[in-house]
Amino acid sequence: MTDKSKLSRRRFLQAAGSTLVAGVPALAVAQHEPAPDESTAQTPPSLARLLRKADLPAPKGPRVVIVGGGWSGLSMAKYLKLQNPAFDVVLIDRQPAFLSFPLSNAWLADQVDLEFLSHSFFEAARHHDYRFLQATVLGFDREARKVYSDAGILDYDYLVLAPGIEYDYARIGVEDPVEQQTLYHRYPGGFYSSSELLTIKRKIHEFKRGTFLLNVPNGDYRCSAAPYERACVMAAMFKKHNVRAKILLLDMNSDITIMKDAFSRAFHDLYADIIDYLPSSMISNVDVAGRSVETEFDEYSFDDAIIYPPIRASRLLEEAGIVNPSSPQKTADTDPFRYNLVGDEHVYITGDSRSQPFSKGGHTANSEAQYVAEVIAGHALGREVVWRSPQTMCFSTMDIDPLRAMSHITYYRYDEASKDFAFDRIHSVDNWDVTGGQASLAWAEGLFQDMFYE
Amino acid sequence: MFRHPRRFRFLAGLFALVLCPRLYAADPVRMVLEFQPDRDNGRQVYATCARCHLPEAWGNHDGTYPQLAGQHVNVLLKQLLDIRTGKRRNPSMRPFVQERTVGGYQNLVDVVSYITDLPMDPAHNRGPWPEATPEYAKGKTLYLDNCSGCHGASGEGNNEKSYPRLQGQHYSYTYRQAIAAKRGLRKVNLGMLAVVNRLSEEELKFALNYVSRIPVPKKDLAPNPGWRNPDFK
Ligand SMILES: Cc1cc2nc3c(=O)[nH]c(=O)nc-3n(C[C@H](O)[C@H](O)[C@H](O)COP(=O)(O)OP(=O)(O)OC[C@H]3O[C@@H](n4cnc5c(N)ncnc54)[C@H](O)[C@@H]3O)c2cc1C
Ligand code: HEC
Ligand code: HEC
Repeated sequence: MTDKSKLSRRRFLQAAGSTLVAGVPALAVAQHEPAPDESTAQTPPSLARLLRKADLPAPKGPRVVIVGGGWSGLSMAKYLKLQNPAFDVVLIDRQPAFLSFPLSNAWLADQVDLEFLSHSFFEAARHHDYRFLQATVLGFDREARKVYSDAGILDYDYLVLAPGIEYDYARIGVEDPVEQQTLYHRYPGGFYSSSELLTIKRKIHEFKRGTFLLNVPNGDYRCSAAPYERACVMAAMFKKHNVRAKILLLDMNSDITIMKDAFSRAFHDLYADIIDYLPSSMISNVDVAGRSVETEFDEYSFDDAIIYPPIRASRLLEEAGIVNPSSPQKTADTDPFRYNLVGDEHVYITGDSRSQPFSKGGHTANSEAQYVAEVIAGHALGREVVWRSPQTMCFSTMDIDPLRAMSHITYYRYDEASKDFAFDRIHSVDNWDVTGGQASLAWAEGLFQDMFYE
Repeated sequence: MFRHPRRFRFLAGLFALVLCPRLYAADPVRMVLEFQPDRDNGRQVYATCARCHLPEAWGNHDGTYPQLAGQHVNVLLKQLLDIRTGKRRNPSMRPFVQERTVGGYQNLVDVVSYITDLPMDPAHNRGPWPEATPEYAKGKTLYLDNCSGCHGASGEGNNEKSYPRLQGQHYSYTYRQAIAAKRGLRKVNLGMLAVVNRLSEEELKFALNYVSRIPVPKKDLAPNPGWRNPDFK
């Protein structure tokens, strides 16, 4: 993998060229390797900002640039600063505010409000003494240690890539990028961006009657319980408002992937007349205009849908040429214990775009960050750090008014025999009740406090 | 000393300070609150804690979670109150120990009484140096000279004084905590801070390796590492 792990400037520019608007790579060349005739370079004024330095004070210590202000990036920023106050930490996110996916299913059913889920990056940066930059990262150059963004160029000593996931629509048979966009906008999965959640909430509240199709993707998708949880929350809402709806839940797995007994119980006892659960339903195509989904053997039409395709690591990794093409979710080759890109101790990959097989969760990202921050601080300060496992805690709202939830926690260990990570302990509290509902709020509150306020 | 074997007393200095600041300033009287622990209620309260700490309260071997089982009640209680007020940084657990979530002192007393009686992990994580090694020997001296005054000759701690029991605690956890104290990331008792600052990180490892290898009395241990808490079946 050594040929891939070192990316030359030229390859960066080529990679960037394939993704940036035409003209920008040429500008990048002008910046790096002055073109012979710089004075005549036609710089469209709106693009000039890509080539200047980002508006940041001169770093007072080693600079750590974090790409992505989700659960991972926010936690990394905080703990990096705690572990080494000398670090000059810059957190970059393209969004103006943070919106939590965890507990969003409870919000769909009006059990918590938007203020509970939404938090300001400014607060996080102020309380934890780092810089926030609202920008989209376009690429990076590992040789020159530079990050390119639409708010300018940043130099880094350490780069943390925490850009999360993207949908992989090709794996449900939708190959054409334009069609993918159409499907994404019309029937968003609600696992990737905040607009999806706002759309889904309106869809559910406005649904009058008929079939509402949902699916569970295969592979190591984000938050195992959440698609089942969403089906339960929607069923509870339809029940409450007497909507004559059927929820068709197509599972691309051969069985419920997590807390099987509890979810089956809910499907059979609470929502038998609403939820139709169909396992082993491999979606092979979606007809957006015709409102139907094809599986291997069947075709299902729907009145409305939430389509959650299988996922992959952020394309930022692929565009930078650091992805291992044989990895199923387009992840990079990283050191499984230290999280750095193989061959580069200045670039780290965390959160849902990591290569390790831990369940993709906000809790995983938060607990992992507390360790990875020590690794990076340790690298800078010459300290030795011993591996420790993240944990994944996941709450599922099962019923509403009042909020009733169950929880599931996973610890991991490294298995010497198989040379891979394995589940260590798992503990499910699968009788959903009001205590569980309160616990889910306390859990989210604690993590929001951690990332934003204390 | 206790009138009732299951009666539980703890000093609520902070409580007195808040309620009657003038009395406190004039005469540092500390209120002694008495509670009759209710184990069954403790078990019910613990169900919420077990969502993270697992039903056995054994923590994990890589030290992200401490073993709580077998810890002294006053130590557990002091940690809960410190976490509640934010004196000990633990944001993810903090909302769970607020009055509005876990309830008042009675519930705290009940839950710590439940935890202290849980059998301990018979295979807790131990430091890397077995008995015959020079590191073990060094650690023994370091521990006995610097730590045993508070934590006890066999790491048994001291309930009355709220000195944690280190015996049976995961080495990975004690080391992480000692380092956190040394780097100012965990506020601890000044006496403890003075010694962790005096010793090097390596010396702390040796000392903690030694405590991690002090045998735990058999009566405090679960019969085997596969034991599962029947209260949460
Ligand atoms: C409905 C639902 C319920 C869930 N419930 C739970 C739960 O109970 N427990 C749990 O632990 N997890 C839960 N999760 C999962 C959790 O939300 C994710 O695992 C978590 O968000 C992953 O964090 P991350 O930082 O890796 O990615 P994200 O949170 O997605 O953050 C990535 C960030 O990077 C930014 N970004 C990406 N590319 C760029 C770029 N080029 N330039 C600038 N910024 C960029 C994005 O804007 C985004 O803010 C749930 C998810 C959903 C959808
Ligand atoms: C959201 C998960 C979570 C919940 C719920 C939780 N804890 Fe904790 N607790 C933790 C973590 C993580 C630590 C270790 C913190 C550290 O490393 O400093 C901890 C530490 C502790 C400690 C300190 C132990 C020591 O020796 O240092 C005590 C005591 C404790 N918890 C008791 C409880 C009790 C009692 C409850 C229930 C009322 C509870 N916890 C609920 C996550 C949790
Ligand atoms: C003056 C008494 C004193 C001395 C001496 C002392 N400690 Fe402590 N130690 C304490 C107290 C009190 C605490 C609890 C701190 C708190 O309130 O959070 C503690 C906590 C700890 C903890 C965290 C335990 C837990 O469960 O969270 C470790 C580990 C520890 N001490 C190790 C040591 C070592 C190693 C030494 C010797 C090098 C030492 N201590 C010396 C009083 C002492």
